[in-house]
Amino acid sequence: MTAKGKAAVLKVWVLAVLVVVGAGFVVAAEEGPIKLGAVLPLADITGAQGSKAMQLAVAEINAAGGLLGRQVELIIIDDESKPEKGAAAIDLLATVHNVDVFIGGMSSGVHLGQLPALKKYEKVTVWIGAASSLVEQAVVGMDWYFHVHPWDYLQGASYVEGWAALQAEYPLIKIEKAFWAYEEGAFGTSSYNGSLVAFSNWENVGESFKSALLGGGDYRSVLRHAQEFDPDLFIWVGYAADALPIMEQAREIGFTPPLFVGSPPGWPADFGGSALANGVCAYGMWAPSIKNVSPVSEHFWDAYVAMFNEEPATYFAPLGYTNVYVVAEAIARAGTLEKEALITALEATSYVSPLGETLTFSPSNLIEHQGFSKQKILQWQNGAQQVLWPFEYATALPAYPFMGK
Amino acid sequence: MRMTRTIPYLLGAAVAATFPLFTGAYLQQVAVSTLIYLTLAVSWDMLLRSGQLGFGTAGFFGLGSYAAVLLVLNVNAHPFLSIAFGGLVAGAVALLVGLAVLRLRGMYFAITTLALASIFAVVLRNFPRLTGGPEGKMLPTCIYAGDTTKIYWLVLAVAVLTIVISEVFERTRIHLALTSIRNDERVAKSSGVNVFRYLVFVFAVTSAIQGIAGGTYAHVFGFVSPEGSFSANFLLLPLAMALLGGIHSTWGPVVGGLVLGALSEYLKLQIPYGHLLVYGAIIVVVTLFLPQGVSRMFKTWVRRSSVTRGVQ
Repeated sequence: MTAKGKAAVLKVWVLAVLVVVGAGFVVAAEEGPIKLGAVLPLADITGAQGSKAMQLAVAEINAAGGLLGRQVELIIIDDESKPEKGAAAIDLLATVHNVDVFIGGMSSGVHLGQLPALKKYEKVTVWIGAASSLVEQAVVGMDWYFHVHPWDYLQGASYVEGWAALQAEYPLIKIEKAFWAYEEGAFGTSSYNGSLVAFSNWENVGESFKSALLGGGDYRSVLRHAQEFDPDLFIWVGYAADALPIMEQAREIGFTPPLFVGSPPGWPADFGGSALANGVCAYGMWAPSIKNVSPVSEHFWDAYVAMFNEEPATYFAPLGYTNVYVVAEAIARAGTLEKEALITALEATSYVSPLGETLTFSPSNLIEHQGFSKQKILQWQNGAQQVLWPFEYATALPAYPFMGK
Repeated sequence: MRMTRTIPYLLGAAVAATFPLFTGAYLQQVAVSTLIYLTLAVSWDMLLRSGQLGFGTAGFFGLGSYAAVLLVLNVNAHPFLSIAFGGLVAGAVALLVGLAVLRLRGMYFAITTLALASIFAVVLRNFPRLTGGPEGKMLPTCIYAGDTTKIYWLVLAVAVLTIVISEVFERTRIHLALTSIRNDERVAKSSGVNVFRYLVFVFAVTSAIQGIAGGTYAHVFGFVSPEGSFSANFLLLPLAMALLGGIHSTWGPVVGGLVLGALSEYLKLQIPYGHLLVYGAIIVVVTLFLPQGVSRMFKTWVRRSSVTRGVQ
């Protein structure tokens, strides 16, 4: 063989080796797990139980053979309820773990701080928290962003619909005057302002309080003003830490309106066990009693209790479970992790969730991909949360009036 | 000897300057928040050197955040100008507030300044047209479009500026005045120190630094809100950093800031569900057993070992 011929053979060999080695890397990369990166506040019950529910969903998916022939890996990072920590978590997941999809979320304040990082990477994001419409304004035009939780104004609209339906169905229930006690922060104040518009046909009076979560905890003055107003419906908008003290102080002064409603994002785990809870109405996306009318919810409940030896107490648990399954089903439908295909597959979502409803994505006021649009009206009855409305998920009749007044 | 003392500082400066060259977006983002808290810790300590325990850090930080964002939204100012404006507003408000509250001493001054964050937040919440009310305001775009390397340089510059001002305070007659006020106000007065003027000056300067830190933070994350911008985190974390590192010096809060910033992130990754408990426990234990702080303990150790070497 001539020198020229030898060089040609050598070139072919080198090329062949490079192709084989390169292919090996590609195969190895494809055989690695599909990575889902979740950011949640793990010190809060919403994040703690939401993250556990995500682990449950991933365990089930992997036990059933994974996705696209690969296992699913869930990486959970605590945002500590701080915007800067939430933003660092996104950078960590994107650059160190190289996740395929971002999931999770709870607080709007944290999420606003995360948005610059999310916009930098433009990875597919399916977010279950952050209800503030300020967030909605910030994600306009981001086709890779899917929002699952109802926006604040959608929640307000669904309560209007719910109370109207309950009054129509049960003529004994009459609401003409409402008193709103709301925590003085963004959550309480924006809920109250939104409600004034939504419930403009009622006579509304509102007063703010400092939440026990933020160092407050004395509601007596607000409760006395409410008592003087004598409302048909009294509603407090605050946090889990306010639930028991408000009930205790209302009992102290003998304040028993016909409808006593609480609207925290999550209730204390032992609230139902308190004698003060009976008859209190609540807003939420889910109640444990939904397992009696929804097989998916029943499966979720049983599997969660079996895996963690505790009962899910916040709707962020079934929401976290839904979060993983929605992404997993979309990946399976797309057959790839390629961004455009995944977005198209997510747009075709129709997932029967443990929250009761079937999740689909449709446009909201400002964005293209909004998931749920309604909350539920619930009531604590004999230690358990029951669904009063929507009627298709109702698990009990309303106990009315509150405390049998 | 002088050269040996300079080496750690040169080494630190070299690491800080080249940090983005050997790290990715995640570590740069962690460094950004650490540097912001470190800036607050140094500025808090600067006032403490006069003997005044001020708790207005979160208040002036939030005020600076709002001033910077509102200037951009209303007159389309350059981000740098708006950050400086944040410092100016915080400093000017501190000057006015200081004229009244710096007549108070000890616990009375501490409690009054503690209330400032709540007062500023309530005022801003009640002008919804201007400030966005309880929901706050968003910037159309974040500074440098979220480029963490550039943001790191910006925040580092703010931290370095604060350290330089703190060192100027340490190395000029301001240091002597503040130390004598801390030791005994009457003696300071009788030595010709204008106590009230010095206190107002230090209060205004440290508040302006906190306002600049707030304006920078708002530009990095792109929004302000009463709850977020006036969060107690902007008081408690810097305080813990200064106590852990060692008070009454520039380098104590710097060391404390770096240690706690790195530790909190490390613990979070190692113990996802219980890191805050461990973190809190470490702060309590260190504060109990090392009341002089980590940096002073280190200095004492270095001094003792050099004395031992000298004896041998």
